[in-house]
Amino acid sequence: MKKLLSAPALFAGAGIFLIVGLLLAFWWAPTDASSMGFSQKIFFYHAPIAETALVAFGVAFVAAIAYLRTQDLRWDRLGYVSIRLGLLFSVLVMLTGMIWGKAAWDTWWAWEPRLTTFLLVCFLYVAYWVLRSVVDEEQRRATYAAVFAIIAFIDVPITFFATRFLPEGLHPVVIQAGDSGMEGRMLTSFLISMLGMTLLLAALIRRDLEIEDLRDRVTDLKTSLGG
Amino acid sequence: MSGWTQFRAILRKDLVRELRTRDMLVSMILFVLLAMVIFHYAFSVKEGADLTYFTGGMLWVTFIFAMLLGLNRSFAQEKDEHCLDGLLLCPVDRVTIFLAKTAGNLVFLLIIQAVAVPVFTLFFIERNYAGDLLPFLVVLLLADVGICALGTLLATISMNTRSRDLLLPILFLPLIVPVLIAATGATTLIFAEGAGFGDLLARLLFLLGFDAVFLVAAWGTYDFAIGE
Repeated sequence: MKKLLSAPALFAGAGIFLIVGLLLAFWWAPTDASSMGFSQKIFFYHAPIAETALVAFGVAFVAAIAYLRTQDLRWDRLGYVSIRLGLLFSVLVMLTGMIWGKAAWDTWWAWEPRLTTFLLVCFLYVAYWVLRSVVDEEQRRATYAAVFAIIAFIDVPITFFATRFLPEGLHPVVIQAGDSGMEGRMLTSFLISMLGMTLLLAALIRRDLEIEDLRDRVTDLKTSLGG
Repeated sequence: MSGWTQFRAILRKDLVRELRTRDMLVSMILFVLLAMVIFHYAFSVKEGADLTYFTGGMLWVTFIFAMLLGLNRSFAQEKDEHCLDGLLLCPVDRVTIFLAKTAGNLVFLLIIQAVAVPVFTLFFIERNYAGDLLPFLVVLLLADVGICALGTLLATISMNTRSRDLLLPILFLPLIVPVLIAATGATTLIFAEGAGFGDLLARLLFLLGFDAVFLVAAWGTYDFAIGE
């Protein structure tokens, strides 16, 4: 079991699912019937990345609560590794979203509720990094970061909900490919991509935690050598 | 001392300290009035342009920035004079400190709004909205509670860091966007089109929900934010 959850195994699993998902999306799932046509294929990447970004922030949220309860710095490390990766995935969401927006609506940027929410999410978690960088003491840094991670994660769905209040007239018509209308073969390809992307996140978290451990050991060694 | 007495004592201390010098209030009110003038010049793009539709946004942007000024100031004093250390040494529940500080900031925000709203109305709004005054006051109060609760929590964190007042806007602004959206929307509806409680219901409930969620979240985390 432990071997199965090691970083290389997770990477391999993620690779297999992502490649299979991509092949299915292009050659097996039907081309979207709406006006988007072929450009809708990016959805099989875009939506899993978005879901994975939210999973990463969810992991950080749970880790933050666990840290505040236990004061164990390993939770803090899990939290900040997750947020770093979540931020990376969020940037990818925005990039793929912009590419899709250009193809579907002929504009690079639309103040569409989901896109807007992800922009704010990026700012929120960049703020998390700024906060970490200005607190020197380790325990205190972990505590503040945990409090902010909790507040930020609560704020994300609220922000998404609030963007619904914005006047509709300003938005281009949003085609909701993710809604119930997804056909069977499309859904299967999508779920496989999603599983692959989530495994990729797990693999990256694993690897980053190992790197952080190694970094600690190097620091300890340097200290013990009087460096 | 009961929690209520402690709450009142801390709130009273904040108000008395401010009313003695009036540093913070004077600069916040001046800031709000100056912002109005700046907005006037920034938006004067066409002769006789009606700014009614933009006034809600201007007002809330001004309030949020003014609050940033006030929050930084209120905690800088606590920190510089070591007042907060004294407060923490007292046998007072941390949540009581949070609620009292939030209430103090709420009072200051309401005072600057009492000055700003009539002036903005006089200069920018061409429609008479006196009939919708009650819903407007409810919007103000609900949004203010959210702004002050979240602001107080984040100001407590940022004052304990190296960059202090530089950090607060970066933490506070992205988190307060939902309040800005709902409050601006509701205010614009009232100013420009006239809206009663019925039209504003969704936004008012949203603001109420925001207040409740973040008051509870701050309740749960303030112990950690304020430190040992």
